[in-house]
Amino acid sequence: MGLRWFHYVLWGGLISGMFLLPQVVSNGTLRTMIFANYLAIFAISWDVLSGRTGYVSFGHPFLIGIGAYTTAILTKRFDVPVEISIPVAVVVTMIAGLLVLLPALRIRGSYFALVTLAFMELLYQLVQVIRPDLTGGTRGMSGIQTLTRGAANGYYLSTALMLSVAVSMWLLMKTRIGTALAAIGMNEESVRGSGLSTTRLKAFAFLTSALIAGLGGAFYVHYLGSLAPRALFDINFLFTIIVAALLGGTSTIIGPMIGAFFMTFLLEYLRPVLPGAERYFVYGAIALLLYMYQPKGLVELAQRGFQRLRKGGLA
Amino acid sequence: MLQILIQGLLLSGLYALIAMGFTLIFSIGRVLNLAYGAYLMVGGYMYFWVSQTLGMPKLMGVAVAALLGVLMGVLKYRLIVKTLKGDHVAVEISTLILAVVIQAGIVLVFGDSSKILLPIVPGVINVAGASVTYNILIATLISWAILLGLYAFVRLTHTGRAMQAVSMDAKGAAISGIDPDRINLITWGISGALGALGGVFFASYTQLSPSMWVAPLIISVAVVIVGGIGSIIGTLVVAHIVGFLEVIVVATLAPELRGVFTMLLIIGVLVTRPQGLFGREEL
Amino acid sequence: MTAALQVSGLVKRFGGLVATNDLSFSLQEGESLGLIGPNGAGKTTVFSQIMGELRQNSGTIELFGQEISGLSTPQRIRAGVSRTYQIPRPFGDMSVAENIRVGLMPDDIWRMIVSRPDTDREKELALSVGFSETDLGRSPAELAMGDLRKLEMARTMATAPRVMLLDEVFAGLTVGEIAQISDLIQSMRKDGMTFLIVSHDLPALEPLIDRAIAIERGTMIAEGSFSDVMNDTAVQASYLGGV
Ligand SMILES: Nc1ncnc2c1ncn2[C@@H]1O[C@H](COP(=O)(O)OP(=O)(O)O)[C@@H](O)[C@H]1O
Ligand SMILES: [Mg+2]
Repeated sequence: MGLRWFHYVLWGGLISGMFLLPQVVSNGTLRTMIFANYLAIFAISWDVLSGRTGYVSFGHPFLIGIGAYTTAILTKRFDVPVEISIPVAVVVTMIAGLLVLLPALRIRGSYFALVTLAFMELLYQLVQVIRPDLTGGTRGMSGIQTLTRGAANGYYLSTALMLSVAVSMWLLMKTRIGTALAAIGMNEESVRGSGLSTTRLKAFAFLTSALIAGLGGAFYVHYLGSLAPRALFDINFLFTIIVAALLGGTSTIIGPMIGAFFMTFLLEYLRPVLPGAERYFVYGAIALLLYMYQPKGLVELAQRGFQRLRKGGLA
Repeated sequence: MLQILIQGLLLSGLYALIAMGFTLIFSIGRVLNLAYGAYLMVGGYMYFWVSQTLGMPKLMGVAVAALLGVLMGVLKYRLIVKTLKGDHVAVEISTLILAVVIQAGIVLVFGDSSKILLPIVPGVINVAGASVTYNILIATLISWAILLGLYAFVRLTHTGRAMQAVSMDAKGAAISGIDPDRINLITWGISGALGALGGVFFASYTQLSPSMWVAPLIISVAVVIVGGIGSIIGTLVVAHIVGFLEVIVVATLAPELRGVFTMLLIIGVLVTRPQGLFGREEL
Repeated sequence: MTAALQVSGLVKRFGGLVATNDLSFSLQEGESLGLIGPNGAGKTTVFSQIMGELRQNSGTIELFGQEISGLSTPQRIRAGVSRTYQIPRPFGDMSVAENIRVGLMPDDIWRMIVSRPDTDREKELALSVGFSETDLGRSPAELAMGDLRKLEMARTMATAPRVMLLDEVFAGLTVGEIAQISDLIQSMRKDGMTFLIVSHDLPALEPLIDRAIAIERGTMIAEGSFSDVMNDTAVQASYLGGV
């Protein structure tokens, strides 16, 4: 599979570093890190589908929202224990992922992106009117069971979740399935011409992406303890996810992670200067420039810098 | 019943105006400009600033909004669309990011809270038992006038015919001596103006808020996808389908569901007939 | 004896244009057939129908006696037929080795995940089409047309076909590269591979084929040995008219 010693060192360093962090930083920073962890999970989920196969999803909040609503409704309205509600939420999200797959069998590019956007808006409007006694309607739900108390515990849980998702996706994408999914993004006809059923590969990508989105959405809502349709099915939320993945570097695992942390902390540091939604102005402008002139993201930039250093050092 | 007919006609006229600028870009360059909704928003806010904050004549506000729309369209074509060349998905991602940037810019300048636009033309008229504001009536009439003007422009003028040629076959048009780049620039400018004007009327129909760009964008997307051709007549027809659908749903089911069927229409058409109801040369 | 490939009464229309007009031919196992005709004659369209990338309007396509018209492209490839493209279509952001890896993959997601790529076989295929070991890590963007065709051949061979369809194999190649690909085809013929070859480079094509068919505007105009076909008056007229 091409695992090398330095892979172990890097992952080992990252994992131990992240778990030791609560010893040295404030609770405020930890709370920011929790958001970064969940954003990283969502960005990895987006990237497994859109970054690899090129089927750009503008509707990821749709999947995340299904995971979040399912477990929230089950635990709050039906007193189902989280041990059951979260797996159920993941399965329901995966079924929703298959629903999004259907259009992807016929259309791609812009049209696919738009269908997913339509799915998101559709769900936004539906949760407000259909059975508001269950979904909480326009106001959403609060008082949802939380899994942890205190910043440190929330941090440990989200970090464990994020790192398990990241490591398992990293391992998975290092196998030939990662190569095959990336090949779809480069030339879908040639993949078929190489004897591979692209329908099955796409279904796999959608299911994997939905699994992670559902898992992330479910744990996230049990961290927040509340959920509001306007915050969830929101273009700003979608934008944050996509930009995190693009900024870090698509078709990698570390890229969306770096992008998520970069984004969360940048927004946090901008807070004193620009307290409201204006922060997205600076953030979006940076993202737009970077996307247009370095579409491969920060990871690529870092890699190139590193190579230049190494070449310079040897010469 | 008559109420629905009148409401439907008025709303659909507005929607046709809104969708027109979006369709134009699609038919010329086959790109979906997801920052289009932001033109509407900027147009609406600009009108608000000029006519209500500065207290200048309303017509002046409309003109400034339209000019700003032209400027935004032209800049976007030059700085983003041309830079990204033929990569449609990249254009869509960038224009989506741009829309969020514009939204944040609006919050920065005008604040988060929504604003009520005074009616451009005050007063109410009673049409067959239904009360209709002059404002929406005028908006619809003007939108019809603009659409007719646009139709005449595309059919009758030299530039308009060049636009038609580029939309049918950009390479062929280039061979016969049309400069597609110039035509694109003009089209982006017109589209920006239409968007900003549509925004003034749309904002006076609903209200001004930094998130007001999403709904008209979805309507425009629906019109392009369902219509398919990207023609002026097609836009008009589908705008009426979408407009009437909405009015009927609001009147007979629930106001909150107003957008649901638009969304279902988009999904349904794309999945079952990706080329649109009226056909599309390419996909 | 059943034919390796049997095409009968194939018809394909694009709107008013008849791209394939009642075309029938067959290929015995181990045989190599040339398919010639002027530009736009419909050669590529025939390939696309055999591979299931286009659906014929009527007619049948049998592979080793099995009717494959109902199968998807990947299923046809598994049944033993594979093609190269006139315009090479590599995976742009992948190395030569990874491009070949995609061709070698089993169409089974579980096995893709659990078993390792066969790097020896990747290398063997790359070397057999004339790549050197250092080429394995290169990206298609750095490759010249000749190398791209070789890569196309290697990826097609990776799917382990029993019948190979080669579209314009020599277009854009240097004399040296033509000789290299010709040698490769010759050695595969010795090993019993069945070929259907489209080429405009008739002198290069001649030694590689046992028989030829010529088509014009989708209709077969001649069939027989290479020299018979070339001496056919209709073929000569079509080529002269085409030039
Ligand atoms: N997808 C298509 N749609 C419409 N016409 C096509 C299509 N593909 C090929 N054609 C037409 O069919 C004819 C045969 O094309 P092709 O098979 O590529 O010829 P050849 O490979 O012999 O040069 C040409 O006239 C071409 O323009
Ligand atoms: Mg051809």
